[in-house]
Amino acid sequence: MIQLFHVYKSFGGTPALRDVSFRVRKGEFVFVTGPSGAGKTTLLRIMFGAEKASSGHILINGINLGRIRRKQIALLRRRIGFVFQDFKLLNNKTIFQNVALALEVTGANPSYVRKKTRQALRSLGLIKKEEAYPLQLSGGEQQRVAIARAIVKNPLILLADEPTGNLDPDLTREIMVLFRTIHMKGTTVVVATHNRELLKGTAIRKIYLEKGRVIKED
Amino acid sequence: MPLGIIFKRAFRDIRQNLVTHLMTTIVVALTCLVFIFFSIFSLNLQRIADRFGRELAIVVYLKKDIPQNKIPSLYQKITSMKEVEKVKFISSEEAFKRLENYFKDEKEVLEGVDPLFLPPSFEIQINRAVYNPSRVRAMAKELAQWPEVQKVQYGKEWVDRLESFSEAVRAAVIASAVLLLVTAAFVVSNTIKLTVYARQDEIEIMRLVGATNGFIQGPFLLASFIQGVTGSLVALIVGLFCYKYVYGIIGQTELIKSLDLQYLPPSYMAVIVLVSGFFCMIGTAMALRRFLKL
Repeated sequence: MIQLFHVYKSFGGTPALRDVSFRVRKGEFVFVTGPSGAGKTTLLRIMFGAEKASSGHILINGINLGRIRRKQIALLRRRIGFVFQDFKLLNNKTIFQNVALALEVTGANPSYVRKKTRQALRSLGLIKKEEAYPLQLSGGEQQRVAIARAIVKNPLILLADEPTGNLDPDLTREIMVLFRTIHMKGTTVVVATHNRELLKGTAIRKIYLEKGRVIKED
Repeated sequence: MPLGIIFKRAFRDIRQNLVTHLMTTIVVALTCLVFIFFSIFSLNLQRIADRFGRELAIVVYLKKDIPQNKIPSLYQKITSMKEVEKVKFISSEEAFKRLENYFKDEKEVLEGVDPLFLPPSFEIQINRAVYNPSRVRAMAKELAQWPEVQKVQYGKEWVDRLESFSEAVRAAVIASAVLLLVTAAFVVSNTIKLTVYARQDEIEIMRLVGATNGFIQGPFLLASFIQGVTGSLVALIVGLFCYKYVYGIIGQTELIKSLDLQYLPPSYMAVIVLVSGFFCMIGTAMALRRFLKL
């Protein structure tokens, strides 16, 4: 599903990723972990097509990201859900509108958008808040809205960058349960986190990054 | 992407930024209004020049000693020209009678003058449907070269002067049109840029969830097209009221009435509306191209 071959990335001469190679199979759940500045966010952004690798190849579902056009990147993103650490919700739009946006951009008809958005909100326990605005919700609820937006289009892959970075331990557990549920439905999930507590006691595959290099996998 | 979604988003943007859009539309309207005033002046000047030219007659003076039997063949020859509407032969006697009528009570001044001293002539009326100053000029030149012809007379200088003046005005209108439309496009593109700045977050998120450039640009382009079209329509309506008002004041005199002044023709108005919309859209497309790094 995701293949990286000798990926390098540098910003103005400062290396962010060095010779990163790994593979994530279809339906797999993977943690990418490491200290701050290890290159986790850059790695996820490259997998999402938001950054271009300086060298190396990235294949997403068989598509080489280095060789596709801008429009194809937009189409590919419709198959990838991304959950951001800072949620990236639009505060002047309701919860419903925030989630629906991910479907509206695909040109789906309004009745389908309504149906799928309500379905996503229901599955994340947010249906009663659909008319609320993000700033009226708690941090955990806002993160659930961000997850709803990421999964509303039934993505093949779900990428999450520090999804629990701003949440307390109880909400962190709650969000992780959600990710596992999504994974169990067949979605490939990659979560980047520096939170070691999150990794304890799980049999989930972990890729360790340090100074832009993969130093360990288990 | 379905057009319905683009329309819905464009109208939502306009509603949310109503004041900005309204101000821009007013600027576009004022810009178009200046152009419309120029156009009314130019088009009517052109009409007057055309009409004046069409109503001119060419007078072909024949040589005094021309044999009478040659006149019917010359008449036929002139009538067969496609620019000619009507030909009238004026004999030397008739010309003299006209002169007598002209002098009326003082016709005694013509006493003792030979009634045949004036040359016979043809008065030619130009066909309005094929009127063209350059064709009239060529025709007059051709007639002057006939051996039986002494002189050809028509309001050449008048036609030429009026024509060159109306050409100059037309050039000024075209130059002002380009200048004003570029201004309108610039103003609209800046408004759209402000809207884009204000919605930077939304655009970024749209990109992240898979929006194509077309999806992002479409509503902006449509909104600017609407601004261009609305602005020009407002200008046309205001222009019409101003024209009617001014015509109401000055249009009572016989001179102005005889000029048969008119407002812009419908096809011209349609072009103004479409070009205004199109230019605003081009300005916005260029602004978005730079801003969205398309």
